[in-house]
Amino acid sequence: MAMMDELHVSLSPRLSAVRSLAQMVEEFGDANKLPDQQIYMINLALDELITNTVSYGLRGVTRPRIEITLQVGETSLALTMEDNGQPFDPTANPDPDLSSAVDERPVGGLGLHLIKTFADRVNYEYVNGKNRLTLEHDLTPEAR
Amino acid sequence: MDIEVAEERDGGALVLLPIGRLDSANARSFESIVMERVGSGEQRLLVDFSRLNFISSSGMRVLLMAAKKLHASQGKLVLCAMPDHIHEVFRISGFDQIIPIRDTRESALADA
Repeated sequence: MAMMDELHVSLSPRLSAVRSLAQMVEEFGDANKLPDQQIYMINLALDELITNTVSYGLRGVTRPRIEITLQVGETSLALTMEDNGQPFDPTANPDPDLSSAVDERPVGGLGLHLIKTFADRVNYEYVNGKNRLTLEHDLTPEAR
Repeated sequence: MDIEVAEERDGGALVLLPIGRLDSANARSFESIVMERVGSGEQRLLVDFSRLNFISSSGMRVLLMAAKKLHASQGKLVLCAMPDHIHEVFRISGFDQIIPIRDTRESALADA
């Protein structure tokens, strides 16, 4: 199979879109020989980000759009998500307390924390009426 | 969207085996199954991950809710047979510190 180093998907913003996208990401990951852990983390991030955006950010937007781009470079993997919803900076969200006991542990806030923890670099900007979030994961030489 | 969950009775414990993918699309369905079992008095609950290949934070949230509820009634939730890539996420999130995770069904039963 030929190497495909970029996957670009324009989604109609529905919760069910996460499923078909996950399938495409897995195929893209396999074709590029990405480690299972990387593919899993990308799909974990997409599930969280798309759910948040569809449920909150894009509510009431006339022509809602979500654009997903995955790029494999020599040393890193980059996931970019753009949407034309309400401005929302996930990097500004406070981290949950991960040391608290079962009774005190809050049930929310986990997804964004996992995304930020797993990515080596996270960048958010709001430009031309769009949120743009980029997550970069370094690839180890053995993984390529 | 509904999730398929196999249920087994092993010793005195109820074992739930969610199948395939547990994500934001079917977490509600999983939540209603788990909380219904806990609400009807199950005190020893095992979730066996051997047939699950994906869990998102919305699925993990359901497990945390169940652990809280069981803890309050002196019951116990134990997870087992987790694939490595999922185990890693439970480790990073600190979930492995508050919900016991065992390699095998046998050792999980001994702890539940």
